[in-house]
Amino acid sequence: MQTKILLDEDEMPRRWYNIQADLSAPLDPPLNPKTGAPATPGDLASIFPMELIRQEMARERFIDIPEEVIEILRLWRPSPLYRARRLEQFLGTPARIYYKYEGGSPAGSHKPNTAVPQAYYNRDEGIERIATETGAGQWGSAIAFATSHFDMDCTVYMVRASYDQKPYRKMMMQVWGAECHSSPTTLTACGRSVLEKDPQTSGSLGIAISEAVEDAATHSNTNYALGSVLNHVCLHQTIIGLEAREQLASVDEYPDVVVACVGGGSNFGGIAFPFAGDKLTGKVPDVDIVGVEPAACPTLTKGLYAYDYGDEAGLTPILKMFTLGHDFVPPAIHAGGLRYHGDSPLVSRLVRDGTARAVSVYQNDVFEAAQTFARTEGIIPAPEAAHAIRTTIDIALECRKTGEAKTILFNNTGHGHFDLAAYDAYYAGRLPDYDYPDALIRDALSRLPKVG
Amino acid sequence: MLDLHTIGLVVNPIAGMGGRVGLKGTDGLVDRARILGAEPMALGRAIEALRPLADRNLRFLTAAGEMGETALRAAGITRCSIVYHPSKPSTARDTREACLKCITEGIDLLLFCGGDGTARDVADAVDQTVPVLGIPAGVKMFSSVFAVDPGAVEAAIPEDAPLRCIEAEVIDVDEEAYRANEFRTVLHAVVRTLAAPGLVQVSKQVFEEVDEERARAAIGAFIADAMLPGILYVLGPGTTTAAVTLHLGLQGTLLGFDAVLDGRLAGSDLDERGILTLLDSVGEARLVLSVIGAQGFVIGRGTQVCTPAVLRRIGLEHLVLLGTPGKLAMTPTLHVDTGDPELDDAFGPHLQVVTGYGTAQRKPRAIRTRFTDPEVTFGKNRM
Ligand SMILES: Cc1ncc(COP(=O)(O)O)c(C=O)c1O
Repeated sequence: MQTKILLDEDEMPRRWYNIQADLSAPLDPPLNPKTGAPATPGDLASIFPMELIRQEMARERFIDIPEEVIEILRLWRPSPLYRARRLEQFLGTPARIYYKYEGGSPAGSHKPNTAVPQAYYNRDEGIERIATETGAGQWGSAIAFATSHFDMDCTVYMVRASYDQKPYRKMMMQVWGAECHSSPTTLTACGRSVLEKDPQTSGSLGIAISEAVEDAATHSNTNYALGSVLNHVCLHQTIIGLEAREQLASVDEYPDVVVACVGGGSNFGGIAFPFAGDKLTGKVPDVDIVGVEPAACPTLTKGLYAYDYGDEAGLTPILKMFTLGHDFVPPAIHAGGLRYHGDSPLVSRLVRDGTARAVSVYQNDVFEAAQTFARTEGIIPAPEAAHAIRTTIDIALECRKTGEAKTILFNNTGHGHFDLAAYDAYYAGRLPDYDYPDALIRDALSRLPKVG
Repeated sequence: MLDLHTIGLVVNPIAGMGGRVGLKGTDGLVDRARILGAEPMALGRAIEALRPLADRNLRFLTAAGEMGETALRAAGITRCSIVYHPSKPSTARDTREACLKCITEGIDLLLFCGGDGTARDVADAVDQTVPVLGIPAGVKMFSSVFAVDPGAVEAAIPEDAPLRCIEAEVIDVDEEAYRANEFRTVLHAVVRTLAAPGLVQVSKQVFEEVDEERARAAIGAFIADAMLPGILYVLGPGTTTAAVTLHLGLQGTLLGFDAVLDGRLAGSDLDERGILTLLDSVGEARLVLSVIGAQGFVIGRGTQVCTPAVLRRIGLEHLVLLGTPGKLAMTPTLHVDTGDPELDDAFGPHLQVVTGYGTAQRKPRAIRTRFTDPEVTFGKNRM
């Protein structure tokens, strides 16, 4: 029996799947943060290229992947689909577990799937430099890799605490020729004003976003790029689910359950949208689609479905999504990529409509699952990916009880080679199980004046 | 070498004797402990802590004989003055008197050697002006003023730098009840201790960047923001709940129970009856408790206020627990002891503790039978 189910390079999908085509009603539009009116393409043109703005609002079902992008994706795509037989045996489950492994990309995660097309469209429209932010460094290293292939410059504002504590991602960016700054910097007005107030600040994602957006808005040769949340980012990631559907079909399978972790929602959208599309169009009406989030930052399970800012500073368009409030600062879980207050509007919509559902898990349970996976399947997963593994294991154990032989597909978004300090903390018993005090937060929010 | 600190030293010579012979505390049991073959351990612990200080440019004030002088001599420290002569055998009164004497003579830090009982006596003598640091030598060390081990004392006292201090809780565990495997914990006092992450129990920090005082302020602001009109908030003792009243600009009690309704103080230093009376006049209430002490108590019956009747009337679903990340990092489990095992079980296997503005942690609740052997428990929890 096969362990790896592989596609040839010429079997790689040539089009992305746009789930906006199959929604029962269009998405609520993003709003201009200054006027509160629906954002126009012109509002976004100072920081994004026109083609990405078009994709953000597009309603056609498929969008062609440019040939130059396909050429670069070939470096690691199609990505393998694994049958996790050793994990199944260890769990004693009748379930069949499959996973897509995205950790084989040069940057070690799914992020280059969108970094490459984003760099391409920017270069195509004459942009010479990308400015972006990064938290723990996954996105920063992916965009550094991508821009290096188009001879573009790249400036990454990396949250100071990570810059100091996690030096390896910063070094990767340097290898690929990007400039990586410890944010807040003295290069931007908003960085300078933060430093003036608090020279010792450890920085935040909100500050880093503001710096990158300011940089892009004040330099005509420079655009901004975002690694998750937006519709075009999820669109680029659908190559994962499209490949997976092909690969499963080649062994006569179709998943009963699709599982992925949710930070900003891009890898979840990437693996799940093709199957959600089958569900929405009635082709396969009962596939169970599950997003997994940290108990510390339970956007989909405990958040509000409402318009909110995408960043702390309130510079980005206002998006209709599940949110914990743009001023919510999630605790320092080791899955840094899942510390986001909001969620992709598309993913939020699917959860609101019941097409997908969400669960939340605690940090120590996540690392226990990660260890089980590493000891059976070999790959040491990124803490983000391990959230999906936790829930996959839970579902497989449920199958052992009920005797159901479900087919489970999950997204293994990256390796954890730069996260070993987190494993170390887990073994030392030093990982707190961060939680979310939802009752109190509801009380606190109910007292605030309504905005917008 | 600058290092001109003057340090007061007070040793409780009989501290720790009960533990070795399974007595869980030595209060009122010295003779019994001696018969069972207990050896005084305080002297040895004090010498161990003091020896590395011999090379430092420090000055000591202490009490004569086994209450300090003997340990200093054995540690090779000569720069010391005897400021107090204890009675024989020495008593808790001597501990308090010796502390007072050191303070009037002028010290920068009071070092004491003993356990929770000694900490209690010391806390009765000092005020918030002089920081205290405990050399751990007792049976019970639930208070947050102890160095993690005697060897950590030297590193906790900075050279050539002013002493950085934080608030710390002195916990009173009823020894009588403790011997019967019950926890009756009362927050006895709040004193100042040295801020020395990793060296002093309370200030141990793991991942959070925030220090204890900032974390407390954030918790206080969050709870204050979440207070709804018409709901009675009963606030238990401790520095973390005190941060709530502080944020509201109210004058609460640090060691007692207060109640807040519609942003005003509805009651202060309440007993059980006072709380039940207030509860009769409102529809809904919340009970806000701090995790206290170095071992993470969610105070139960020990307070004589959180009785099963009060807890049932408010409802466990309306219990709000507060604790700083630093405190939770050193307590693998939390302890609940309401005096009613059925009610204890209703708390479930995990407790949610608010740790910052909008953030919380889930902690396992300790099963009480784990505490039958104090040696094992203390060895495991003191890191
Ligand atoms: C390995 C990995 N998985 C998952 C995520 C979560 O992001 P998203 O929800 O956009 O897929 C991240 C984000 O940094 C990541 O690095």
